[in-house]
This record gives sequence, C-alpha cells and structure tokens, in this order.
Amino acid sequence: MIKNITKLSLILLFLSSNAFSESVFDEAKIFKNIRCLVCQGQSIADSNSEFAQTIKIVVRDQIKEGKNEKEIYDFLSNKFGEWIIYKPKFNYRNSILWLLPYLSLILGGILIYKFLRKRKN
Amino acid sequence: MLSNIGNIFFILNILVTISIIYFCYHSVRDKKYNLAKIVKLSILQSTFAIMTFATLIAAFIISDFSLITVYENSHSAKPLFYKISGAWGNHEGSLLLWISIMSIFSFLYLIINEKSNSNSLLITTVCQNFLILAFLFFSLINSNPFSKILPIPPDGLGLNPILQDPALAIHPPLLYIGFVGSSIYFSAALSSLITGYNNKNFAIQIKPWVKVTWFFQSLGIIVGSIWAYYELGWGGFWFWDPVENASLMPWFAMTALIHSLIILERRESLYSWVIILCLLTFILSVTGTFLVRSGILNSVHTFANDPSRGLYILVLLFLMVVISFAIFFTKTKKETYIFENFSKEVFILSNNWFMAFYLITVFIGTVYPIFTEVLLNNKISVGPPFYNLVIAPIIIPFLFFMALGPNSSWIKFKSFDKKKFVIVLFLSIIVNLAMIKFFGGLSTLSNLIIISSLFLIIYSILDFIFSAKEKKHLNISRAVSHLGFGLLMMFIIINHNFSFEKDANLKVGETEKFESYEITFSKLRLDKRENYNALIGDFIFKDRKSGIVRNLQPEIRIYNDPETLTYEASIRTNIFRDYYLTMSNIDRSDFYNIKFQNKPFMIWIWISAIIISLGGIQRLFIFKK
Repeated sequence: MIKNITKLSLILLFLSSNAFSESVFDEAKIFKNIRCLVCQGQSIADSNSEFAQTIKIVVRDQIKEGKNEKEIYDFLSNKFGEWIIYKPKFNYRNSILWLLPYLSLILGGILIYKFLRKRKN
Repeated sequence: MLSNIGNIFFILNILVTISIIYFCYHSVRDKKYNLAKIVKLSILQSTFAIMTFATLIAAFIISDFSLITVYENSHSAKPLFYKISGAWGNHEGSLLLWISIMSIFSFLYLIINEKSNSNSLLITTVCQNFLILAFLFFSLINSNPFSKILPIPPDGLGLNPILQDPALAIHPPLLYIGFVGSSIYFSAALSSLITGYNNKNFAIQIKPWVKVTWFFQSLGIIVGSIWAYYELGWGGFWFWDPVENASLMPWFAMTALIHSLIILERRESLYSWVIILCLLTFILSVTGTFLVRSGILNSVHTFANDPSRGLYILVLLFLMVVISFAIFFTKTKKETYIFENFSKEVFILSNNWFMAFYLITVFIGTVYPIFTEVLLNNKISVGPPFYNLVIAPIIIPFLFFMALGPNSSWIKFKSFDKKKFVIVLFLSIIVNLAMIKFFGGLSTLSNLIIISSLFLIIYSILDFIFSAKEKKHLNISRAVSHLGFGLLMMFIIINHNFSFEKDANLKVGETEKFESYEITFSKLRLDKRENYNALIGDFIFKDRKSGIVRNLQPEIRIYNDPETLTYEASIRTNIFRDYYLTMSNIDRSDFYNIKFQNKPFMIWIWISAIIISLGGIQRLFIFKK
C-alpha cells in the first residue's frame, strides 16, 4: 500500500514538475534584472523615470532584432558598466560570491555529520 | 534653550552610566551585593535617556529650527504626527531612541533577574553600560541632535515625503527594540563567559529576551515591507535591498539562537555555539547600522546616511568584535558534542545549519560589491535574481526538516513514521496538481517549493489535531511559527508566479483593454491637502470575465516644502488578490503612464508573516504561567 502510494507520488511529482512547466522568453524578467541608474535601488521594471522608459525601449528593440538575454546584458554592461545588471556574472572574479554560500552549506553539513559519527564508534 | 537642556541630560546620563559601572565593579570586587542602589541608578539612567529623547521630540513639536536636526528634518507646516515621528526618522534622533532602548533593557533585565546569580547579573550590567556609554559618546560628540545653527533659519527643509507615513513612523521603533534589544544578551553572554555562569539557568534567563527581540524584529521587518509595498509604488514588498538585508541578518542569527537555546536548556550542550550566536546577533545589528549610516551602500534608504559617521561606528564595531571574541577564546572550554542520528538535537542543529547558510548568502551578497569596488575597481550589483537563485532551492529541504524536526524525540532515534510521511507527501502533490489546474503552469523549482511548503503546512496542522486528540503536550508557539512559515513560502511563490503586470499611456477619457480587463481613465482632479496638493486620477477597472468593477484612484502628490513629487498607488484588496494601480505624469504631454498589477493572495503574505511572529509572544505567555 505504502509502496504504491510512493510510486504514485513520484509519478505525479514528475508530472507536476515537467509537463506543466513552461519557460517563456519574457521581457519582464529582463526588465527586472536591469537597474534604473537614476533611481535609488529600483529596477527599470519598477521605475517610471525617463531613464527606465528609454532603456525599456532599447531592450524591446534588441529583442526584436533577435538578440538573446545574454547579448542584451552584455550590450548594456559595455555601455553603462556591470553595475546596471542585478544578477552578477558567473566568472572567476565573482566565483567567491556564487560559491561561498554553497561551500558554507557543505561545510556546515560535514560539521553536523561529525557530531553524529562519534556516537557510533 | 532646548539645546542646552538636551545637552545637560546627555552629561547627566553619562555620569549616571559611569557610576553604574563603578558601583557594579565595586560590588563584584568586594562581594557586597547592593543591588538596590544600582537599580535606583538604572531608573535614573532610563529616565534621563527618555528625557533626552523627549527634549528632542519637544523641539520637533515646537519647530525649534535653531537645532540643525530639526531644521534638516522638519517643517513648520507639517502635520503634528509627522513632526513627532520626524524625531526618530533621522540619524541623530534615532540614536537617542537607540540609547533609550538600551537603557530600558538594562534596567528591566536587572529587576527581572534580581534574584538570580548576582555576580553574573552585575557583570552583565557592566557590559551593557559600557555599550550605552559608547553610544552616548557617539551621539554627543559625532551626531549630536542638539547642535545649533546660526543664524536661525526661518523654516525647516522638511521631511522626505515618502517617510511621512504611519507605517514608517512605527517601523524604526519596532526594529530598534529588536536589534538594539539584542545588546542585552550580548552583554549577558560576555558576563556568562567571564563568570562561568554557563548552565541551563543561563539559557532560561536569556530566552524570553531573545523571543521578545525576535518578535519585534519580525514585526519591524513586516511593517517595513508593507510600507515598501504600498508607498514605493512598484508593487513588490522585498527587493533584497542592502538595508532590508541589514535587518534580515540579525533576524537569521536570532532565529538560530532561539532554536539552539532549546538544546542548551534541555541538554546543557552547545554552550559555545549559543554564546557565539548571542554575540553575533548584536554585532550584526551594529554592522547593519554601519552599512546603512556610512552610506557605503547604494540603497533606497540613503536618505539616512553621512560618510563621516561610518568611521566611529566602524571603530566601535571593531572594538566590540575584538574584545568579545578575545574574551570568548580565552574563557571558553572545549566541548564535545555527541548527538544521535535523527534525534531532536540534530534537527534543531539543522535549523542552525540553514540559518547560517541564509545568513552567509545575504552577508556575502550585501558586502561583495564593496570589495569588488575597492579591490578590483569594478562596481557590480547583487540584486534579487542572485538571492532568488541561490536561496530558493535550499528552501525545499529546509521546509521538510521544519516539518519532521518537531516530531522527533530527544537523545534517541525514534523510528520515523514512514506511512505519515508518504501520505502527507502524496496529499501535498495532489493539492499542488489542483493548483496547477486552477492557476496554470509553474516552473519545476516553484512546484517543488509549493509541494514542500504544503508538506510543512499539513504536518503542522496534523500536529495540532493529534495533540488535541491524544491530549499530548504541544509546543504551540513552534507549531504556529512553523505553520506560518509554510504558508508564507507558499503564498510568496504563488504571488511571484501569477502576478500580472501591464503598463500603458492614457489620456483622460481613454480606455485600455488587455486580456479580460479594461481600464478607463474617467477623470483627473486636483485636491488641496494639509501639506501637499494631490493630482488624483479616477479610473474604472472592469474584469469582463467575472464582471468585477472597481474604482481606482492613484495620486501624484506634489509636496511643497521642499517641492517633491511622490506617486501614491491605489490598492483594492480582497482575500484572493490585490488590484494595484499607479500613475505618473509624462513630461510635455497630456498622457499619463499607468501601471496596473494584479497580485494574487497579497494579504495572505502579510497574514502568514504575522502568524510567524506571533509564535514569539505565544511562548512568552506560556513562560509567565
């Protein structure tokens, strides 16, 4: 009985995770990742400044030209600096930023595991 | 006049603080415990601290522009309520609030624990008063709220209009009780190290303080988010802004502390780790203050910064870290921890494990841009996409641990109820599928988070039902907070995935149609209010599918002193969704840019977050019984 429910659960889990998920190329997602340089801590999606409106037009044009997300970000970083993109690039310079959280997670796991092992010996 | 009174209170306060340290030191040295005298001095200290603060509030009420702080942050035409809240809406004034809270906590800790270990209590008071002294000097020398300006200006510069809001009037005091209050267990931890008072009584003694500060910290964060949601006009409530992060980091440390304190209390283990968390909470609070006040970070809160202050806080922070950890490393004894697999201890430790991960992620994300700018001369932004990407996957195991942990038992391994696990998981998946049917598709990650939060929600509800049925003891506060967290995660994910946004440029009389909605810009009118003029747009919103019609009235507010424009969102809330509309003017045209948002289950996000925080005071009621 339990086994059957487990199997069924796994199948349903698989269904819910894949069959129904959709990934769309979404301009709102790009807008949310671009900092409005004249505002205080807002993305261009959230701002109604003239700067934000202009960049939105630029991004829409580039999407029409068929550029992908990365190309658009590269274009903007070249023009305004990396500061304009909210999601830092994953490169060797930023490796500490991206990896340290997970390293600490693994380290913490090992630490707790060590507390467990002593009992067994 | 008020300037002199304020400064006199300052000096008196410093004298009283020094004498408290002196008398405590003497009592400890001579082993003659005369608490009565120290209690009296503490009453005096709190009174002076409050009087100093009250003097500044009085200066704001009567608009005494001979004080720079009042001149820079107030205006004679401002409503009285915002004149008063302006007193702590700036750096100098908020420091007085800071000092008052530290003094009151010092006094309360003293009288509540009067009958406990005197040595440890006195040393705690000494540590706390050294901290108070440091902040008194900081306030008096570097950030004196009573500094004068000559010639006296005819009127003030005014308070930033976005701060003229009731939520923002109570946000700083709530948050301050949280993270300034944590100074008391910073002091208690140092005292515990020095006096060797490290048994279970220590845990019991600081527990209510951790809970109270945790409760207020949570509320402060919630109120700040609600304010950001309706006032900043972008429809979001959390931007992973450096200043939001600064309030979140001590919260993670406090949450970890609440959990590990249970182990110290029940098993008399994990002492060193508890001490580290006590120290860390207040250190992170001061770090947050440094990041915010020094202006080293670019954020929405930059209305409150000045580079010159940073140095003092940095030096203070450095001293605090060095001294406290020097005491820690000389006094702490090596402990060995041995825990059984799947025992409650291990589950509680796993809470600390996740908290440490969230804390480190947020800390790295907040300070990393400073390093790249200084060392590599490359300014980068670390924004919401980073935090969402790094943190979201780790929420899934965390939610499962949160559900399973409370059902484990102390010391030993309790055979784990596989049947319950599978059935609850099955139910969660079914509910998730029903949601997909109802709302539409989600990404894999979102699905998994919803399933795991449903798992936690169902487990917590079952805990309530079984304990009522079998009349078993239930830790209600734990069950309430965990349930609240499950709900919060679920509603955030649904809200995040199914929020709908549309912007358009409209003239009066025009209608915009999109999907099943239509919005008509029917009228524009001007309204004169107490200290601003409001340009109000009347919009009629129609949902053709459900037949819902709503009037929405976003505003553009024109404040005159100083002239500033703010955009007021119009929000219609019901239990299923918020309709959110903002409007802004487009230069040199009759068109207005409107942004419409449909945000599902918004109110449930606030309710869930408040449920989490209520767990903190529920514990207190039990404590008093």
